[in-house]
Amino acid sequence: MRLMIVDDSMVIRNRIAILSSNPLLGYVDIVAMASDGEQALALARSKQPDIITMDLTMPNMDGEECIGHLAKILPEARILVVSALSDRVTALRAIRNGAHGFLLKPFRDEELLNSLLELKQ
Amino acid sequence: MMKREIGAADIEVFSNAICEYFEAASGELAQVRSAYLLEGEYPELWSGYHGVIPVHGSFVGSVCFSAPKPLLTHVLMLMGDKSFSEASHLDLVGEIANTLSGQARKHFGETLCINPPLAFNGKHKPVSPKGTGKPYAIPFTWRNYEAGLVVDLIVA
Repeated sequence: MRLMIVDDSMVIRNRIAILSSNPLLGYVDIVAMASDGEQALALARSKQPDIITMDLTMPNMDGEECIGHLAKILPEARILVVSALSDRVTALRAIRNGAHGFLLKPFRDEELLNSLLELKQ
Repeated sequence: MMKREIGAADIEVFSNAICEYFEAASGELAQVRSAYLLEGEYPELWSGYHGVIPVHGSFVGSVCFSAPKPLLTHVLMLMGDKSFSEASHLDLVGEIANTLSGQARKHFGETLCINPPLAFNGKHKPVSPKGTGKPYAIPFTWRNYEAGLVVDLIVA
């Protein structure tokens, strides 16, 4: 699994990186970490991740816009939104724009693992 | 739309969000106490770190999460963070403010537009965008640490 982690919080990026080293997920290569949508797009082109975790509320370019671009430039990549935005409309719109899953913050360790396992299958 | 100040039912959403956050982080509920109108000084017990979420859209104002450094260090430890740096503490206080505000969209809907957090370290509450000017304070205790959330919103 080639994983890219996109979140404006360094603490959350590190937490996802730590959890993704769980053996249940098999070999995970963290190919990139980005703190906003613009950086994520540039890194996606060069690093070609196949799974992406994506925050929504970020500076410069937010996650919703970034998902729309990623769906075009990396159509095979699977995107898991990891966000605190808890309203139904936002979740549905993210899925419609190209995300494959939605995990609400705050999340427990096992919830992230299960979400990544589902995306991997 | 008429301007409306937020009320008890709205504030309860933030109280529940505090409980959910700390239960997910540690398996232990925070003891959230009754919210009150913050008319005087900012509670000194919460002094330390502040994460402010400016809000726009159908709402005007801000949400501010404040906590002492040891609380944040404890949460960082639970998250597996090993640096315990100043940057980590500032990042976390902003992330908690962001998460608690995002949880409130379950109740308020997507018109509660949340900006990325601003984080500060200091004794006093930072200046933040005002809603009503009559903010609600929600005090709580988690693992003997005192912290709180200040919600200053108005439906524009």
